[in-house]
Amino acid sequence: MTSVVTSLDRLASIVGERWLREAEPADAVAGVVPRLVVTPGDEAEVAALLRVASDAALAVTVRGGGTKLDWGAPPRRCDVVLSTRRLVRLVEHAAGDMVCVVQAGMPLETLQAQLAAAPGNRQRLMLDPPQGVAATIGGIVSCNAAGSRRVRYGTPRDLLIGARFVLGDGTVGHSGGKVVKNVAGYDVGRVLCGALGTLAVLTEAAFRLHPVPPGWRIVVLEDAPPARLAEAVEKLRRLGSAAAGIDVTWPQGLLVVRLEGSEAAVGAQAGEVAARSGGRVLDRIEAEMLGEQLRHRPWESAGAVAGIGVPRARLGALLEVCSDFAVDTVVRAGVGAAEARLPLTVDGPTVAAFRTAIAGIGGHLVLRRGGGALPAQVWPDGDPVAAWLAASLKRSLDPTGTLSPGREQAAPAASSA
Amino acid sequence: METSGAAAAVPVEALRAAAGADAVLTEPAQLRAYECDGLTGTRVVPAAVVLPRTTAQVAATVRACCAAGVPFVARGSGTGLSGGALPVAQGVVIGLARMNAVLSVDIANERVVVQPGVTNLAVTQAVASAGYFYAPDPSSQSVCSIGGNVAENSGGAHCLKYGFTVHHVCAATLVTADGRIARLGSATVDGPGYDLLAAVVGGEGTLGIVTEVTLRIVPRPPCVLTVLAAFDSMEAAGSAVSSIVAAGVLPAAVEMMDRLALQAVEAAVQAGYPDCAAVLLVEVDGSEIEARTVAADIDRICRACGATELRRAAGESERALMWKGRRAAFAAMGRISPSYYVQDGVIPRTALSEVLGGIRELESEYGCQVANVFHAGDGNLHPLVLFDPAVPGEAERGRELAERILDLCIAAGGSITGEHGVGTDKACSMPKLFDEGSLRIMGRLRDAFDPAGLCNPGKLLPTPRLCGEVPGVYRPHALEIAGVAERL
Repeated sequence: MTSVVTSLDRLASIVGERWLREAEPADAVAGVVPRLVVTPGDEAEVAALLRVASDAALAVTVRGGGTKLDWGAPPRRCDVVLSTRRLVRLVEHAAGDMVCVVQAGMPLETLQAQLAAAPGNRQRLMLDPPQGVAATIGGIVSCNAAGSRRVRYGTPRDLLIGARFVLGDGTVGHSGGKVVKNVAGYDVGRVLCGALGTLAVLTEAAFRLHPVPPGWRIVVLEDAPPARLAEAVEKLRRLGSAAAGIDVTWPQGLLVVRLEGSEAAVGAQAGEVAARSGGRVLDRIEAEMLGEQLRHRPWESAGAVAGIGVPRARLGALLEVCSDFAVDTVVRAGVGAAEARLPLTVDGPTVAAFRTAIAGIGGHLVLRRGGGALPAQVWPDGDPVAAWLAASLKRSLDPTGTLSPGREQAAPAASSA
Repeated sequence: METSGAAAAVPVEALRAAAGADAVLTEPAQLRAYECDGLTGTRVVPAAVVLPRTTAQVAATVRACCAAGVPFVARGSGTGLSGGALPVAQGVVIGLARMNAVLSVDIANERVVVQPGVTNLAVTQAVASAGYFYAPDPSSQSVCSIGGNVAENSGGAHCLKYGFTVHHVCAATLVTADGRIARLGSATVDGPGYDLLAAVVGGEGTLGIVTEVTLRIVPRPPCVLTVLAAFDSMEAAGSAVSSIVAAGVLPAAVEMMDRLALQAVEAAVQAGYPDCAAVLLVEVDGSEIEARTVAADIDRICRACGATELRRAAGESERALMWKGRRAAFAAMGRISPSYYVQDGVIPRTALSEVLGGIRELESEYGCQVANVFHAGDGNLHPLVLFDPAVPGEAERGRELAERILDLCIAAGGSITGEHGVGTDKACSMPKLFDEGSLRIMGRLRDAFDPAGLCNPGKLLPTPRLCGEVPGVYRPHALEIAGVAERL
């Protein structure tokens, strides 16, 4: 606490009084209330702030839109929240090369709007993570958050081609570049994907972009039991379809296939997909309404959320398990990923039983977001040598434990859950 | 991380105990087979070669090296082009060729588990009958190993659409630099913890040795169309590529060859390429409608950019012949030049014409010919600098020309390597692309995996021993520490 007080002037001299304030309860990170919130205006200020913080043994948590602060275990300490909300510049949009470079604090929605407004063919960053329109590039990368289109385009780690970042001790660096193919040096930026801001503060990201497909269709199959849904998904695989997304929501028993491509191709494929799956093609208004409804599932309500990975062919078994545990689930069926919101009343032993059931079908479960009395667990029962490597990486890049110490680990109290 | 003073003695008996007596080579004649990889201009004879058969043997071999303080270098098929598998003098080469089994194939879940010595093409062969393929396809795919592909994050022609090795490795068993065994990643998606595989894939064998790899396979698209377009200048072909990219059309592959490359290929394999200044080989795939729509777009754009001839491969054998020429291009250079140096650089796709023009200017400046055969769709250039080692000074001139091409790539906003890796070859060029802070951070990442600095030392990052004096490590000034001054 003393160190926060004595560091105040130094922090203020970097960003100016206006951009340093006392924290409020609403600034809590997974329940841990910081002392200060500081909002740097550029990367040099980020570096200067972190030099002062690591020097004074202050713990810092980086925050973008604040939509995923409850992801990851509560940090052991949090003195300062470093907000990226002034780092909102589109540094470069090389439309002809289909890449962009963007500062970490820019909300994804803003980026998409700016890309779409550029002259030439319409382009997008092909990420559609659920959970909040305020979500920023930095937060999405740090959580490696992805949505329906990951079936075709992957997750942030697959689209990131370069990064700039600052370590906890203020060392500034970059990796990758702004070309779509590049193997020069260690891909530090990719390692930051999903690291929850515990290894470095991302300040800038470069992405590969894709054209906005001229045509799209939504095909749905409603009120279907697990076996029927699994069968339909399997048929889509054999079809070699141009599906950009294949979502199943449970307990609704709803299959949603998103086809994207040329107008002629999706028109023909939609009919074929509907025939094979026994579903129907939605008209445009229905499709848009459904898209809005599903956009933020299952994150839109309170409660812990599990991230699940299962072998893709075990979809039917996964849905049975989800039924048993009464969880609200969205499955990205093409890749075997799922996000499941647990009931508010759920306790540690139930989560442990859920995890065991998922392991029983060859999958794994991470409690991505905490809820109620349950803290998130990012790192359950990992391979011990891999865990040693991870700890070694954290020590090497952040030896003073400045960046959200403990957030990447299961909290000791929860590790027995 | 620099090894200094007298080199430690290779623990031959301990190596025999680790991997079996028949797995350890120490005869000079045997060792010479391992003195270089595909970067044949640089050679170092190792003190011993170990050829283990199991993960446990690899781990025991590494532990024996560590106990003796001896550096070790993993090696796959030795086809790498950046000297990533160059031995360290007085060190041990761990060759993984005997670990060449496909361990499991799971079509329903689209996963294949292989040992590192399995060739790239063997993965596709293992799943082809089920209608699947392994997407990364380096030109050396019939001989290069998956272990080497993982180390180099290998690409290939079809990576434009399907992604690189890093997009297809789900999990791996890693023998750590101190000889322990770790499981990284997960056969299913979204595995817990840091994405350590993102560092190991493309880590050039400096972060440990991969002994088992779980790969993602991809359904073969129902329709594949291959288009060959001829142009009367490289610049015109380059602008066609830029236009294809800018139009938002995404083919599976866009390859380019210039006149010199075409002549060499024709002499070697008679692929039937037209006699012209440049050829684009464009492949599109997907559903039949999708593929035909995209192919029509490609035709239209190529014509608009001045294509003098357009051909569609009629059937699989014509398609195979078109690709045979492309894949044989590097080897075919022997037909037109006694020796050549393969450069590997990347540029933004908008800069193709400009940089290709720059290479032409360098050719006349240096009096060396440059053949171009490369992955145009993702801006990955492979200029082949031709030289005759018998002519005094020509090898050096060629080498300097190749270096100048990299400068062009950097100036255009690109990179010094797109798929061949940094290795020994370009370690000293890294400071051109990365500032001191970035290199120090990469050094810290490496230290986290290999604190003793014994795992493939001297590769990827510049060192004073390799590169002469490099700028000293930055240490903050007392005034900075006090917060009085800032480094700008």
